Amino acid sequence: MFKYFINILLFLTVVDGFSQEQSKDSLSTPKDSIVYKSPYGIRLGIDISKPILALVDGDYNNGFEIVADYRITKRLFIATELGYEDEKNQEDFTNSVAKGSYIRLGVNYNLYENWLDMNNEIFAGLRYGFSIFDQTLNNYKPNVVNGENNGSPYFPADLVSSNTTSNLTAHWTEFMLGFKVETFKNLFLSASFSYKIALSVKEPDNFKTLYAPGFNRIFDTGTGFGFNYTISYLIPFSKK
Amino acid sequence: MRKIIPFVLLIIILNSACEKDDFCIQNPVTPKLILRFYDEVNRSSLKAVNELYVWAENKDSLFVNISTDSLVIPLNTNNNQTIYNLSKGNIVEQFTIDYTPKNEYVSRSCGFKIIFNDVNFTPNNNWISDFTALETSIENQNSAHVQIFH
Repeated sequence: MFKYFINILLFLTVVDGFSQEQSKDSLSTPKDSIVYKSPYGIRLGIDISKPILALVDGDYNNGFEIVADYRITKRLFIATELGYEDEKNQEDFTNSVAKGSYIRLGVNYNLYENWLDMNNEIFAGLRYGFSIFDQTLNNYKPNVVNGENNGSPYFPADLVSSNTTSNLTAHWTEFMLGFKVETFKNLFLSASFSYKIALSVKEPDNFKTLYAPGFNRIFDTGTGFGFNYTISYLIPFSKK
Repeated sequence: MRKIIPFVLLIIILNSACEKDDFCIQNPVTPKLILRFYDEVNRSSLKAVNELYVWAENKDSLFVNISTDSLVIPLNTNNNQTIYNLSKGNIVEQFTIDYTPKNEYVSRSCGFKIIFNDVNFTPNNNWISDFTALETSIENQNSAHVQIFH
């Protein structure tokens, strides 16, 4: 009985060896000559989160952003964002509005190795940002010390109407991480996160620049962050 | 992709940790007036006032029947004059403080504080015999602003 099994196993090993021999042969055949070309061109789009935020978020009055990028090498893209933002800043003791335009200019580097003819991206980006805007201090309440047991102050401070507007500018650098997915032919959906470091921010007299369009809230350390959700369309010029 | 996710999370965490300006920890922001009471004869030695009642004109009492040589009272930021009644037992002293309030921006969370410039004191000398103004502007609460002799 055992002899019978051993014979079958021996037969199988022979078959195995034979097929191995075959595959070695196939390696010597010439390489697949199909090269997948990817499109080069200009990609134009808009940020879809900003108009939605303007509807949903009461402090975000208005916002609009146009995005564009242009492919220069296999992995490198020149990218820019142009936009307008209008945001209310309600703090504990101050109420101000910042509104104005901005431009961000820089490059994206695609870190993702695509399969076949796909054109998706996981990118890292660098930007220089510049914003010209107005900040209006609507009103403020002087910060006076509370009474005993955190009760109301002995002399409660009145709300002071200020309505002073300052013309301001801000410069910053930005590090971005994000991805782009081609959903339909030449139509891309993208999401990205950016970390911003202010280079110089013009401060108003006896007040502070709390928000810069394109930069968002300016933290004490001069940093900020932002998210972008865009939909864009590629106009291909050539295929390489 | 897997390498990027922790990196993105790290940046988000770093950012949320940067929100240190969310609470105003600088207190008091708007300074109060500090008075110190001295002996009218031996003018360098502190002398406590007994049975002291303190209230501002047309307001409730701020201090009732206290004994102290140092008094810290707020000033009215909406006006350029605050009138305090300092009562020692039954003798009422009307102490008028005139000043020019000025707003000064502190920070996002603290907002504006009020400092008081061109400060002038006018007692009506019922139990206060004399006073020495140490400061002409009240910007902080580090030391006394006025010495009262009685």
